[in-house]
Amino acid sequence: MKTTPPPSTPNPRITQGVLAVREGPSANCSSIGSVVDTLFVTAAVGGALFAAVAAAVQRERNAIRVVGEPAPVVMEAENEEKTDAPPT
Amino acid sequence: MLDEQPVLVALDHDAVEALGVPRTAVAPGPRPPLEAHVAVTERCGAGCVGCYVDAQPDGHEPALEELEARFRELARLGVFVVALGGGEPTTRDDLGDVVRAAKAHGLSVVATTSGLGLREAQLRALSELTAVNVSYDGSGDAYAEVRGFRGSSGAESAIDRLTRAGVHVGVNVVLTRQSLPHLEKTVLRAVELGAREVQLLRYKPSGRARSLDYLTRRLSREQVLTLGADVEAIITLLHGRARVRIDCALVPLLSMHDPFSDADALSRHGVLGCEAGENLWAVRARGAVAPCSFTGDDSGHALSAAAHDKGLATFRAWNAAPDEPCASCTLFRVCKGGCKVVSSFVSERHGPDPECPRVQAHRKAERDRA
Repeated sequence: MKTTPPPSTPNPRITQGVLAVREGPSANCSSIGSVVDTLFVTAAVGGALFAAVAAAVQRERNAIRVVGEPAPVVMEAENEEKTDAPPT
Repeated sequence: MLDEQPVLVALDHDAVEALGVPRTAVAPGPRPPLEAHVAVTERCGAGCVGCYVDAQPDGHEPALEELEARFRELARLGVFVVALGGGEPTTRDDLGDVVRAAKAHGLSVVATTSGLGLREAQLRALSELTAVNVSYDGSGDAYAEVRGFRGSSGAESAIDRLTRAGVHVGVNVVLTRQSLPHLEKTVLRAVELGAREVQLLRYKPSGRARSLDYLTRRLSREQVLTLGADVEAIITLLHGRARVRIDCALVPLLSMHDPFSDADALSRHGVLGCEAGENLWAVRARGAVAPCSFTGDDSGHALSAAAHDKGLATFRAWNAAPDEPCASCTLFRVCKGGCKVVSSFVSERHGPDPECPRVQAHRKAERDRA
């Protein structure tokens, strides 16, 4: 997920609805890896992280893939053009 | 940090509705894995003493068409990430074709490599990936103590070359009794070479490491008890320079140290414990599905019949009804009972991780009562 400046009016339903954030992917082929340095940030920084994620989710909702949804079969060059597709 | 990598976000129903995602798209029920580890070869000439798959120079190498079919099936299932492993992926002459085959199905593709003898064409192939991790257990003797040969300069060269090629490079650092004392020096060297992530991995008794030597290589009890503080010190040391990850099997070993003991915090930050057979599947070089890269054998079902695979079912069934002390442990929903590869070797059963300090305290209390 790429980020650009947050929307001017964040939707509170989304901002308050972020339950968990997992950064990834890690590149390991043997074990599933999880970022842990965010566990140690201050509450203020942690809150900002979650707010930024909520803003990005809202702004880039057309690029969201739902868990279990088949991945799109497209070549990379076409991938960029798919960002305007309707949400699924 | 959000500019660099994809993010998996869990939202409540209200937020999902606000995004305009149909409720049917997030219906409850069995979910596919988020991540699949795909062995693209069994070949590797490095001969690491602790190789978790016992890779050999003449190991099996599936045809490109077979891998393409596996990627297609994983994409159909809804997998997000495919991690290419082996064996050593860069032994494949057609690695670029393998990468493109996976990417053509919309999968986010990453890989792990030893980096040893990295050829230019393979480097170009790796540069098309979302991220690449190089196995790096330290410089000089520290590397040799884990791998059994002096190969750190090859790994260091790969980190440097991949970084210069613009690749998001991480390093996999296996924590053993011998490598842990060198950890600070190891991660600083990796970051100096360009690594932007450090993934700390538990040593596991699988493949060539499934021997009595495991008992002398695994972290000592004293090391486990201070591991949380050690990881926190590494996070502080690398702050602003590199991210720090832990692997699934380290979750129980850190469970006595705050905030790693806080299930809510771990959940909120997307930390995953043993997800074998759940959010994580592995696909072996011959196409058999397995709960994770360290488990299973070639008798597993093909991906298309994974719903009937006994190995996956065993892990899922235990997670649904774990033994004590995991059943009543506050951390279970994240930890999932720790590493079953360890429990199957050390305790000879699929059960609670015998090296978890919480499990050990519970068993000591039971012995004391008896």
